[in-house]
Amino acid sequence: MTLPPSIRRDASTLSARLPSLVIAARRVAQTVRHGVHGRRRAGSGETFWQFRPFISGEPSSRVDWRRSAREERAFVREREWEAAHTVWIWFDRSPSMQFASSLAPVSKVDRAALLALAFADLCVRGGERAGLLGLTRPLAAQGVVERFAEAIATDERLRGPSQDPLPPAAPAAPRSMVLLIGDFLSEPERIASAVRAISAQGAIGELVMVADPIEEAYPFEGNTEFLHPAGSLSLLTPRAQSLRDAYLARLAAHREAIREICARSGWGMTIHRTDGSPAEVLLALRMRLSAPEPGTGLRSA
Amino acid sequence: MFGLPLAFAAPAVLAALIGLVGLYFLLRVTPPAPRRAIFPPLRLLIGLDPNETTPARTPWPILALRLAIGALIILAMAEPLWNSLAALSGSGPLLILVDDGFAAAPTWDKRIDFARERAAAAARAGRIVAIATPSQGGQEIAPLDRSGVEGRLRALAPVPYAPDRAAAAPAIERFLAREPKTDVLWIADGVELGGAGAFSARLASIAHSVEVVTDSSGALALAGADNEAGALTARLTRSDAHAPGTGAVRALDAQGREIGRTTFDFGAKLAAQARFDLPVELRNEVTRVVIDGERSAGATWLIDERSRRRRVAIASGASADVAQPLLAPSYYLKRALQPFADISEWHDSSTDPIVSLIEQKPSVLVLADMSVAPGPELDAITEFLDSGGVLLRFAGTHLAAGDDTLTPTALRRGGRLLGGALSWETPKHIAPFEAGSPFFGLAAPDEVTVRRQVLAEPETGLAEKTWARLADGTPLVTAERRGKGLIVLFHVTADTTWSNLPLSGLFVDMLKRIVAEADAPGEGAAKAKVGEHGVVRPPLRTLNGFGVLGPPPAQAEPIGDDFSGAGDALHPPGFYGTPDSSRAVNALALGATLARANYGPLAVHEGALAIAPPIDLRRWLLPAALIGLMIDALVSIWLMGGAPFRRKGALAAFAIVGALGLAAIPHQARAGDSAPVSDRDMDAALSTRLAYVVTGDASVDETSKLGLEALTRVLAARTSAELAEPVGLNPARDELAFYPLIYWPIVAGLPQPKPEARTRIAAFMKNGGTMIFDTRDALVARPGGPPTAEALWLRTFLKGVDVPELEPVPRDHVLTKTFYLLDRIVGRTAIGQTWIEALPPPDPNDHVRRPARAGDSVSPIIIASDDLAGAWAEDAGGRPLYPLIPGGARQRELAMRSGINLVMYTLTGNYKADQVHAKDILERLTR
Repeated sequence: MTLPPSIRRDASTLSARLPSLVIAARRVAQTVRHGVHGRRRAGSGETFWQFRPFISGEPSSRVDWRRSAREERAFVREREWEAAHTVWIWFDRSPSMQFASSLAPVSKVDRAALLALAFADLCVRGGERAGLLGLTRPLAAQGVVERFAEAIATDERLRGPSQDPLPPAAPAAPRSMVLLIGDFLSEPERIASAVRAISAQGAIGELVMVADPIEEAYPFEGNTEFLHPAGSLSLLTPRAQSLRDAYLARLAAHREAIREICARSGWGMTIHRTDGSPAEVLLALRMRLSAPEPGTGLRSA
Repeated sequence: MFGLPLAFAAPAVLAALIGLVGLYFLLRVTPPAPRRAIFPPLRLLIGLDPNETTPARTPWPILALRLAIGALIILAMAEPLWNSLAALSGSGPLLILVDDGFAAAPTWDKRIDFARERAAAAARAGRIVAIATPSQGGQEIAPLDRSGVEGRLRALAPVPYAPDRAAAAPAIERFLAREPKTDVLWIADGVELGGAGAFSARLASIAHSVEVVTDSSGALALAGADNEAGALTARLTRSDAHAPGTGAVRALDAQGREIGRTTFDFGAKLAAQARFDLPVELRNEVTRVVIDGERSAGATWLIDERSRRRRVAIASGASADVAQPLLAPSYYLKRALQPFADISEWHDSSTDPIVSLIEQKPSVLVLADMSVAPGPELDAITEFLDSGGVLLRFAGTHLAAGDDTLTPTALRRGGRLLGGALSWETPKHIAPFEAGSPFFGLAAPDEVTVRRQVLAEPETGLAEKTWARLADGTPLVTAERRGKGLIVLFHVTADTTWSNLPLSGLFVDMLKRIVAEADAPGEGAAKAKVGEHGVVRPPLRTLNGFGVLGPPPAQAEPIGDDFSGAGDALHPPGFYGTPDSSRAVNALALGATLARANYGPLAVHEGALAIAPPIDLRRWLLPAALIGLMIDALVSIWLMGGAPFRRKGALAAFAIVGALGLAAIPHQARAGDSAPVSDRDMDAALSTRLAYVVTGDASVDETSKLGLEALTRVLAARTSAELAEPVGLNPARDELAFYPLIYWPIVAGLPQPKPEARTRIAAFMKNGGTMIFDTRDALVARPGGPPTAEALWLRTFLKGVDVPELEPVPRDHVLTKTFYLLDRIVGRTAIGQTWIEALPPPDPNDHVRRPARAGDSVSPIIIASDDLAGAWAEDAGGRPLYPLIPGGARQRELAMRSGINLVMYTLTGNYKADQVHAKDILERLTR
């Protein structure tokens, strides 16, 4: 079973579409940033934030003697609060993601890439470092979006389109944050193991399930042959409408299973339909990053 | 089939319909191709238990559609024929008996088509087919294959006579004896002629089954045409009341031109008459009478010269006794000649009877017991004979006593009295007529006796001159050619005193034959052809079955004088003899009737011929199957999920259909586009007239109008150019094309006209009109001086107009020669220069001095400066309006002559220039 040409073309030109995705990502990120400010407060970090007078009872090792020497009082050097050192981002580029139905404005992978790049931009501008899981090291540069796009394009060029529907099972560093974007239609066990592997050292994260509207609407009737975008599977259903209820139930169960998996690792899960607004989900992600609630999403260490 | 007029050429194919059952099950379990959908969460679907376990079935409408397509194709392969005649029962050989008498000719194509259909149906059913016709009754009937049937049917043609069906019976009997199971199909003509009744009885007794098919409309035929005293009367007959009751009969001459046409109406009867009221000269031209629209030899009646009406003049030597007409020979002659000749008698006692009768140009001059004295009478008769007349004389006391040379043979003085009291001889009978006599073929009845006669002197050649004899051999009628004419002598009187011959029908027949001798020269020269049956006449032109004259068939035989009755196979209807003297043989005997055939015991299908030809249903079934396939394809595409394609395809189809439909809408006639023609233009187009341009200056316009009116009057008085009232024009608005000449006096002070005016003037000049611009400035202009205001105005106006090269009118210009010989163009002044299109330079090789020269066409522009209209203008009393400069009656006359020349120049062009060369041209021609 070969892929329909439209999918092949889309897959081959993801890197070609990256420039426009980059621009779109910047625009979306800009939209979201207007509503959210950075965490301008003292905390554990490496960048200087302020000097404050020594408070009695503090460990004396905190005293900044150079500053204190210039005055009569002792000062403590505070560094800016750095909530997460690193945000790891990964999005699914497998054939399953290349799909865009007639109900959807864009393909799933486009939306996933948009979300990933925009979120990276947001993070970097918010002071975190962002890295593409398995592709780049964490970057804090302003041009992170371009760098990511470049990395993806290079990867596509060198290794061809990615076939892997799940992130590489490399454990993220503790206190780092992980954003996984994909359709996550694989078996829940595999997803669970992948999430477990990534969060093995205590990384926390968020899982965004990108879904095409047709996957929820299931508008099929009559004699229908279903094909998997990867071409590996096909299913002939004489009466497609008879499977509708069972399918919807199973889809709900699957999502519940994913949610369960995320919850077990302390992760959050968001479902995003490609006909929905990317800014909306991005804003939600950003809010969770800034105001984390334990067990429901990104949280500070 | 099944009571429907439906048949199949290949019924075996219908067995394939059983296959539709198999197709049904096959289609039922073979659903249409599924629509394909890419579905990423496919994994979730796998392993799902559908609520419904029904296997996918082809939807029933598609199933029905596909079965219908299959059925349609199978039916089409079986070559179905609608309206076929295959409902014929029986399985044995089929003998098709096609009546081919002339009565079948009008519906011949229908009959052959019917026979072809039946033969084809039988051949499809694997039956032996044979075809027989009554006219070829002697031939053996052989079975034919399919192509043989077609060839045979093509070769069949109706014969122009009524063939004897009995002659065809033996061959049919032999065929039936060989093939006892034969079904006979008799395509009969429905007419008794040829023994249809007896034949059907015989056929019924020998044939296994007989089906008679006739046309519902009976036959229509002509059974005679009598050239009577006042009219030519055609006798029509029809076989039954279904035959056409009304119609037209046409009388044609030898070349087939229609001389007369009249209608007939049978009413409810079976016989009718149609009268042609024509002058006798025209009636004598008629050689054929045909029923209009009836293609049949029976609907054609041929007329030979025997029935030509001739003018017969009767002169009698007996003193006319009106009180006792039975004693006058002319009475018997008149009664006998009346039916076929126009009789003229001598009434005017003031003139010589013979001379006055011959002046009426009769064909036959009858002298009943009258001797001809030398003198003008003899001269007249001799001339009459020389010009081909027939002189018919009857013996009598005057003749027996007289002595003249106008007898075929020398006569003995005195008569011979038979059966009288002093004679022992009994009255003599007439001997049978010999071959070679014009009377040959007439029966000599016994009751005709001759009591007295004049005797011929025995001489050599008497036997040849004798046309009729008494039983003892003495001549009764003798004849001799004299010049181109003929003298016939009855050796008895024309009344009953010498014999009772004038009372008998034989007398009429004999007179008829004698009269027919008139205008039939060459009869004597054809003596060599006299055989056993009299004069032998070979077929000249014969009718075919459709009533068309043509060359005779090979088997046609000559007829003798004794031939009578209708044509038959050996003597087909037509003209026999030589073109000069021909005998007509007709398809029907004179006065015969067409009886309706009685087919007795046989089953008759009347009107069964009048069926529509079978329709090959394949041409409907196959497209229907094709359309079904298209629908099926569309439905399948739709089921496979090709919705977008379908929508676009439908749009495209609608677009194409719509475009075709728009293209098919005929373009509306655009009659209303052209502007209506104004009354003024209508008048201008209908009559030639002069025209002037209305400048806007009232006095100038008035002058132009009066001047042109005066010129028009003078033109009408002096020349043949009678023009209508002059008309004033606005060149910017009015159509100029109608006027040969437009006069435009220039008024310098007025503004230039609109550009449209210039365009129109330019077009007018291009199209052959002549503009005369009159600057009226001869008094102020100086040669070589500055241009006057009028000249400047004109130059400005003509700036955009294509003006040819101009020159002052040369002395030899044709303008000065067109009507008057002028030196120059003169107006109110006589000093102005008149400019005209420059002529081509004179031919240097032409040394002859030409008095006038002209270009190839009329100059489109003439610019005068002498105020022409002012010189012409007169008031209502005919008095000149303006004084002339220098003045005088001579100048006014010259001005008028200039105007006439101008008008003539525009009307006649360079004609005058050619005319002045006429002398030279004539010289050259006579040289």
